[in-house]
Amino acid sequence: MKSCVVIGQSNVGKTMFAVNFAAFLGRQELAIAIKAADGPDGARTYNVDEAILTLTGPEVHKTRNLLGQNLEMGVGKGRKPFYLVDTTGLSEGIHPNTQIRRAMAQTLGVIRDAAVILHMMDASAIRRDHPEIGEVDLELANYARMRPGYAILANKMDLPPAQEGLAVLQQRFQELPIFPISALRRQGFREVKRFVAQHI
Amino acid sequence: MVEVQNPAKAPGEVLLALETGRITAAKALSQLVAMDKGTGGPREDEAAERRRRLEEARAELNGLIGLDGVKKLVGEMVAFVEVQKWRARENLATEPLALHMIFKGNPGTGKTTVARILGRMFKELGVLPKGHSIEVERADLVGEYIGHTAQKTREQIKRALGGILFIDEAYSLARGGHKDFGKEAIDTMVKAMEDHKDELILILAGYPHEMEDFLETNPGLVSRFPIQIDFPDYTIRELLQIAELMIKKRQYRFSEGARARLHEILLQVSLNGDKNSGNARLVRNLIERALRQQAVRLLHKGQVGREELMLLVEEDLPPKSQFKRRPEELFRARVRALEKAVAGGETTP
Repeated sequence: MKSCVVIGQSNVGKTMFAVNFAAFLGRQELAIAIKAADGPDGARTYNVDEAILTLTGPEVHKTRNLLGQNLEMGVGKGRKPFYLVDTTGLSEGIHPNTQIRRAMAQTLGVIRDAAVILHMMDASAIRRDHPEIGEVDLELANYARMRPGYAILANKMDLPPAQEGLAVLQQRFQELPIFPISALRRQGFREVKRFVAQHI
Repeated sequence: MVEVQNPAKAPGEVLLALETGRITAAKALSQLVAMDKGTGGPREDEAAERRRRLEEARAELNGLIGLDGVKKLVGEMVAFVEVQKWRARENLATEPLALHMIFKGNPGTGKTTVARILGRMFKELGVLPKGHSIEVERADLVGEYIGHTAQKTREQIKRALGGILFIDEAYSLARGGHKDFGKEAIDTMVKAMEDHKDELILILAGYPHEMEDFLETNPGLVSRFPIQIDFPDYTIRELLQIAELMIKKRQYRFSEGARARLHEILLQVSLNGDKNSGNARLVRNLIERALRQQAVRLLHKGQVGREELMLLVEEDLPPKSQFKRRPEELFRARVRALEKAVAGGETTP
């Protein structure tokens, strides 16, 4: 089964996307396999609201493990399964916390053999007069740009300043597919779904 | 010598480096990119990489204290090699590159260090395919019975192909007169120099006086080694700079007392007037000993702070009296120096 990895800096909305995208594909119950960076693996089942309550939040580095979900989507006439992996955010610089560093190493480990890489950035945090895109994001784009299944998700489009950020991203990564979405409001998911379907 | 941190060679190593906090996530990604490109990467990257490594080697050479003559000559050689390449591009006649060298200098004046850096530079310039340097001495070249020497010498040459063969104390090959096998080693080397013109650079190194005698008795050699570099003794000032640099690299520093003590020792050694007076290796040994002494001192003390871990004090260095020669010893050394000067037709002892 091919995997689809959601990756990006911390607090850009990766987990929110993973949960809501599963819901968008018709899941009520989310069976989440937890692959811990350290410690034993686990599995949990949430309904969508519970998942949003427990797994997401405003704090940085909320997700510290790989969270995997077996999902499927309609492709052509049939249905195709895939494995959606939500990852620990990559931070700039060397993170002081060993556990988070280990989790980030784990993240880079899974993107190496991912069929689809959804690189999420917070469009609302990028301004035209301050167009610096993080080094991690640039390197990540540089790493994955040759892969057919690589796309950028410009998240938080529900926030007003995000339009400006999206324009900056589109200019900066002209040759790459960029999908403006709102993980929170499930906007723009149809385009993402079509893109994922092409590559699994 | 600077330790260059090796970049990771496998993806697993990159992830481990990230995990242990040695590199940032961004750096890890860029290393993974480089790895995925592999050897089939774009050519211009390689050229840029070469230039960068050349600059690195050059910076290392220029970072060495003193040795101004050496640096200038190396600059000339690099320029010459580069310009010859340009000339070749324009279909102009090019001088064949004869880069075999003779290094003359007392012990600890940087001959081996410079040879190693040169190997790397020549590799990046495209003069040598591998650029490693093999360091050998008489015992590695000269055999025990007839025919053994040529075989041993050829073996060393084979190891050095693609790089530099550095023969330390080369004059000892001419020692022992005509029946000695050293002559055979020289002959074999000369042959190899012709056979492997493009893939081997020979460097003969040794103390100045002995080397001059050696070259005089082997006139054919001088023309084959067009580049002669003198490594002058370091001045006391330079030795002190070297010492400061060495401990700075190791993240230590001297107390005022220690600095004064080191100065005294160096003065004393230079008063002895022997070959060691300008010896950077002596400085290195002194410092390494001081580091051990400091370790012992701190261990006895128990509780120590960061500052103390870095500080070398006066007592860590040996007393100056240790380097004082007994009068009769000094006398003998002076006589020896005088004799040599008279034999060499020189006026200074």
